[in-house]
Amino acid sequence: MTKRTFRRALAGFWWLTLLFLYLPLAVVALFSFNAANSAASFTGFSLRWYERLLGNEEILSALANSLVLAIVSSLIALGVGCLIGYGMYRHRHRKLGWLIVLIYLPIVLPDIVFGISEMAFFVKLHELTGLLQPGLGTMIIAHVTFQIPFVALIVYSRFVGLDPTLFEAAKDLYASPAKRARHFMLPTIKPALISAFFLSFTLSVDDFVISFFTAGPESATLPIYIWGAIKKGVSPEINAIATLMLGAVAVAAILSLVFSRRRPA
Amino acid sequence: MADAGTLPTARSRAMVREARHLLLTVAPGATWIVIFLVLPSAYLMGVAFMSTGPYGLPEMPLSLESFRRLAGFGFLGWSPGNLYTLLRSLVQTLVATALVVVIAYPIAYYIATSRARWRPIMLLAVVVPSWTNQVIRTFGWMNLLAPGTPLSQLAEGLGLIAPNMGLYPSNFAVTLGLVYNFLPFMVLPLYAAFEKLDTAQVEAARDLYASPLRAFRHAVFPQTLPGLLAGIVLVAIPAFGMYVIPELLGGGKGMMLGNLVANQFAGAANWPLGASGAILMLIATFIGLYAMRRIGRRLGGGEEVVI
Repeated sequence: MTKRTFRRALAGFWWLTLLFLYLPLAVVALFSFNAANSAASFTGFSLRWYERLLGNEEILSALANSLVLAIVSSLIALGVGCLIGYGMYRHRHRKLGWLIVLIYLPIVLPDIVFGISEMAFFVKLHELTGLLQPGLGTMIIAHVTFQIPFVALIVYSRFVGLDPTLFEAAKDLYASPAKRARHFMLPTIKPALISAFFLSFTLSVDDFVISFFTAGPESATLPIYIWGAIKKGVSPEINAIATLMLGAVAVAAILSLVFSRRRPA
Repeated sequence: MADAGTLPTARSRAMVREARHLLLTVAPGATWIVIFLVLPSAYLMGVAFMSTGPYGLPEMPLSLESFRRLAGFGFLGWSPGNLYTLLRSLVQTLVATALVVVIAYPIAYYIATSRARWRPIMLLAVVVPSWTNQVIRTFGWMNLLAPGTPLSQLAEGLGLIAPNMGLYPSNFAVTLGLVYNFLPFMVLPLYAAFEKLDTAQVEAARDLYASPLRAFRHAVFPQTLPGLLAGIVLVAIPAFGMYVIPELLGGGKGMMLGNLVANQFAGAANWPLGASGAILMLIATFIGLYAMRRIGRRLGGGEEVVI
């Protein structure tokens, strides 16, 4: 095989793989505009499934739950995670192995183990103390737990990328640590914080398994609603809500990427 | 650590200040993770060693009953059901990981050898589908593999499946779903390995009249091995504990360990049994992590996060 045919074969394989990766998503999007009530054939363009969404109370409340969960958990994770990220940077010359293990634990633990651990724990805790009934509160706690590491690592790598002499300069410029934090730290890591927020938001909206096991009867999120609808029997409405989610996640992910690339002004 | 009393006061005061700073920045998050993840996982591990009470909830005394149940010993004697599930998880993980390697290797090479300005876009194109919700992605495959769809009709025409059966639920659909889900996790580390590839070695091999195949075996493959091993860990560990894909694409006969565990906390309800399955997954995870650390050391670089 000559070099040229080799490259051509590779290019062909590349396009096939892309087809493989995008076909399932494209099918969901396509059938969301299907006039027929069937997943087997496309009979014509229609927006009826989107219109139906607007009248579906369950979906609207799931959407509200998803948004509240994602925003509140991302904000808490941002605060807590940003502090750890800074602590990890300032004290990077110490032996922080235990901290690294702790931070990687939520990332490496299989979702299902993560989910049922939290569920068993919350159920037991509720039984013993009456606190933390399964619902949005327990979901927020669980989501913050898996978001903290990502925020911490993004903020940490932002600090590592800075010129260390900047910190000396800031020390000379601003006498109090509070002023230094307000006028130097926060503006400097702002792009990292925005990027971390969008990533946390995306992770939260995307999560199914952990939400599923920590949810209460009233706190179904969109993925949980979709899961239930799929289990009950496929309805074309799922395609419509799924397509909207695909779009929203794509936007959030792109925003996260844009801000992670941006240099500070 | 030296005794603080023997140090000059200014220095010891600075040290105390530093330690307090470390505590103030790190403590809130570390405490959060300890209370809401370390403690719950420890509790779950404890549950595995308790007896099963009414409604499947754990109760005293301690017992190894759940592990016997996991191995298939029930009230009605031994049955192979759970072992089949374990074996299926293992086989699915191995097959899916192997397929992911076979697809990802040429893809990573192709991206790494494309024009520099295209590379980020190509990588993005591979990663974007993994940002979408897993349930929705799997639902997309349900749409594609259902009875009557072009893919199912093709399989019917080739005599691979019985008429009107569709390609899901089946073990094949689960494998496909796993490959789809984990492909990006293999492409990223392999791409990183290809990008760092020392091409001088390949040229030297070619100058010494090595065939392309020999040059690949001795100059290219060993250099990409760390990336490959990292990818295998990133794919195999979560695949082994997968819940959503077998639940939607596998049906009753496609169940994997993740479903066995989850079912014990929902319908079937036997918390200790579920917890013992979770321990098995944890063991697999820690083996994977250990392997990852070894690989990380061989690479010599810092730890990299793959999102």
